Amino acid sequence: MNVIIEDSEITDNETVALSHPTCKQICMFLSDYAAWLLGCGATCIRLEKNVNRIAHTFDKNVDMCIMPRHINLTVSSKDRLTSFTAISSIRCKCINFDMNTRLSRLSWEVADGRLNFEQTKKGFENIINTPTANKWMVLFLASVANASFCRLFGGDIPAMIIVFIATLAGFYLKQILTENKIDIRIIFIVCSFVSSVFGATDNLFSIGSTPEIAIGTSVLYLVPGIPLLNSFSDMLDRHYICAFSRFMDALILTACLSIGLCGGMVMMNIGMF
Amino acid sequence: MFSQFLQDALFAAIAAIGFASISNPPKRAYLYCAIIAAIGHSSRFLLMSPQLLDLHIVLSSTIAAFIVGILAVLFSPIAKTPAETCLFPSLLPMIPGMYAYRAFGSLAMCLYNNGEDRFSHYFYLFANNGLTCLFILLGMVIGATIPIFMFKKISFQATR
Repeated sequence: MNVIIEDSEITDNETVALSHPTCKQICMFLSDYAAWLLGCGATCIRLEKNVNRIAHTFDKNVDMCIMPRHINLTVSSKDRLTSFTAISSIRCKCINFDMNTRLSRLSWEVADGRLNFEQTKKGFENIINTPTANKWMVLFLASVANASFCRLFGGDIPAMIIVFIATLAGFYLKQILTENKIDIRIIFIVCSFVSSVFGATDNLFSIGSTPEIAIGTSVLYLVPGIPLLNSFSDMLDRHYICAFSRFMDALILTACLSIGLCGGMVMMNIGMF
Repeated sequence: MFSQFLQDALFAAIAAIGFASISNPPKRAYLYCAIIAAIGHSSRFLLMSPQLLDLHIVLSSTIAAFIVGILAVLFSPIAKTPAETCLFPSLLPMIPGMYAYRAFGSLAMCLYNNGEDRFSHYFYLFANNGLTCLFILLGMVIGATIPIFMFKKISFQATR
């Protein structure tokens, strides 16, 4: 981008400001960018690469401290005479690979000189304001997926149908409770309880020949797979604090899932082992 | 055996699409997730099959995750998504969720049963399920991450 300005010899102050933003402007933008990228489930290595890519394009250095719920980011000029630091809290807090993809692409568009600073900010606003996928479609697909999962574990057709209904009920409840901003741990306990009660109907009415698989797989849609994978991925990249935090989050959610499941099994008078 | 293999691939693909939808990937990534998950999960099925290699679930998951990792890295420039977008949803059908909550369930049963024999039994189940879950996850992530680092240029430039 700098090359383009030198070639066309633009001296207009506003245009130069767009192409040569200050450390403060870059820092404020990057702290928001990093907070959203980490919040939507990007690994630490990707976060570092994307942020560095954007900062270097604008001739700035960047140093980051990635904490589980905050990002501390310092942007400095190449000669290190001016610098600006910002701390931002993680945004989004739900896994969103579409946002991850588009934010990564935005960083390349900046690096390839296709966007100036103002366009980058607009692009970023556009990305973070994009609505997520249709919730009914997600509800249906997740239920079908869990029924397929039941089959992978050896469940028969009645077990698959029961798991489909159990997931439909549990996942719908999860969507409602999430919209009402209920604590995620409570959501996991309640949803796994509801799903396991539905899952237990196979055993209760002796519908199929694999009731234990039906109840076991009825709650698997709640297993926090992506946070677990992210935590181990961060660990391999030696981001131990983030790795530990993500692992603990996933572990606590799995514990909540188990509490709900145990509650459902006790209520339906089914032994766990 | 062959029909079981095909069923495994088909249901893994459906599971990958459904579980991927929860994490809101770009629409074009669904197809790649389904293909990669089908190949990955059916590879694990073959590796664990007593008629073939009969490998332990940890080793099988690691090898299958490595295959998934390679495919995800190769497909990511075509799908124009970061490698993780295709990789992580494809790994989801292999996540040892059953082992994870069995471990917690056994822990709860440890506290519920006071007799030494019963306690030891449930503690054994807790340790067995917990360790299996942990090592499957570790193996899967190591296996899946190696290709990302092997082909770093492709992995991190896929969205360019």
